[in-house]
Amino acid sequence: MSSDWVVRCAGVGKAFQIYKNYNDRMRQVMFGRVKKYYKEFWVLRDIDLELVKGECLGIIGRNGAGKTTLLQLICGITLPTHGTVETRGSIAPVLALGAGFDAELTGRENVLIGGAILGMRRQFIIDRLDSIADFAGIGEFLDRPVKFYSSGMYSRLAFAICAHAEADILIIDEVLAVGDEGFQTKCLKFIEDFRRRGTVLFVSHGLPQGLCSRAIWIDGGYIRAAGDPQSVVDQYHEALINEKDDAERFHIGN
Amino acid sequence: MSEQRALALLGRKKDVLLFTPFVKAWHYRELIRAILWRELSQRFRDSYFSWGWAIAAPLVMLGAYTVVFTSTLKIGDSASSGVVQFSLVMFVGLLIFNLAAELVYRAPTLLHEHVHYIKKSIFPSETLVWIALLRALVYAGISFAVFLVYKLALTGSIPLTTLLLPFLIVPFCLMILGISWFLAALGAFTRDVSHLMITIVPVLMFATPVFYTTADLSPTARLIAYINPTTSYIEMARQLLLVGALPDPMVYLATFAVSLCLFYGGYLFFDRYRSVVVDVI
Repeated sequence: MSSDWVVRCAGVGKAFQIYKNYNDRMRQVMFGRVKKYYKEFWVLRDIDLELVKGECLGIIGRNGAGKTTLLQLICGITLPTHGTVETRGSIAPVLALGAGFDAELTGRENVLIGGAILGMRRQFIIDRLDSIADFAGIGEFLDRPVKFYSSGMYSRLAFAICAHAEADILIIDEVLAVGDEGFQTKCLKFIEDFRRRGTVLFVSHGLPQGLCSRAIWIDGGYIRAAGDPQSVVDQYHEALINEKDDAERFHIGN
Repeated sequence: MSEQRALALLGRKKDVLLFTPFVKAWHYRELIRAILWRELSQRFRDSYFSWGWAIAAPLVMLGAYTVVFTSTLKIGDSASSGVVQFSLVMFVGLLIFNLAAELVYRAPTLLHEHVHYIKKSIFPSETLVWIALLRALVYAGISFAVFLVYKLALTGSIPLTTLLLPFLIVPFCLMILGISWFLAALGAFTRDVSHLMITIVPVLMFATPVFYTTADLSPTARLIAYINPTTSYIEMARQLLLVGALPDPMVYLATFAVSLCLFYGGYLFFDRYRSVVVDVI
């Protein structure tokens, strides 16, 4: 294993606490040391992962497999139940597009807020407003309230902000599906360029050809396959056809 | 190891030091500014009178309370000293009380309201309480300006001790920050906290000397009233703004000490549960 890792997960497991009712939560806070009031739902188990600079990791898996949770753990938004997650450098999380957008405010005003949430300084954003507007390509709608946007315009603007964050690690969660093909191409081009200076983690149902240098397939909280993107995607698709899409995998308990 | 990393990401040192809450608030000042600006600018957007409403609200309240309490109810001795004086006494009480009440109402649902920020970005959740405080301070500032104009118009003078008000407001804000952090963390676990606050705050309004002064109370009732730290803030503010005298230094120091305890206590509570809160909201 190399020593120039950027992201490193060792034996990571994450269990969510599932409460029968809302008040059990309160009891857990007050008497948690004496008794356990919840059941555990293991979203992720035994995840070992190491990324070096310039890599682009594609993550695939079915709904509820734990993809987003893995990204949240790497971002440090939530803490692992077991194991360690370490990162080097600053992170730009794109877990949801336009999460901080306010529908009443104009696109331009929202850029300032969205940028601040990504940790950009106000002056830094103002200096790049033209470039952001150019990337989003929504023309005069930039000065209209966001509530009048189409969903495509919304994600265009939101991604344009993220594309201007100065980060070492870019973490993208299935957010590109909304844009049209022209915009998707622009985003993929951006991700490719970004790899020259940083590392990318990318969740998607269909991995674009040639974008990722490596892929992992998460199934039921475990890494089921890892390695060459094409072969991982092939195994995944094969499993999708052969295995049934039932509720068994959402079992709570042990 | 993992914890350290996550904490570093959340922008937090492992130990909470004396200045940690302030250092972090300063560190995130641009974020606080952006979200505060957002909340303020959307409040009266698309309305014709916009910020006029922020001025009208305290005036209407003041007018209504003055009419009700002086014409129908006779409360204590403070009412007998004249309608003008009584309305001023009440105005100061309402100013201080409303500042605290707005935060106490909002704090329990604060994290729920901003769940998108907390779960979908690397967001320092404690700043939400700072933002809520600053927002409440803006409205309180407008009410205060209305108060000064009102006082000047009615009595023709504003005492010099008004300038000392920041020495009261700063510890007062620290106190409500602490209480709000505590309520915000608790409110993330159960919605009952929010319902509880909606239920008891109006009662607290009468338990706090907003519509009367502690001088109206019997000695026993006065002692009970002072358990509520807001009481001493209101009384001290009246000293500064209406009487033009300095408050009792012992009362001031004791209130300051209690406020600091609440501030750090609330912050430590929030800090302890902040990583758990993400998984329950």
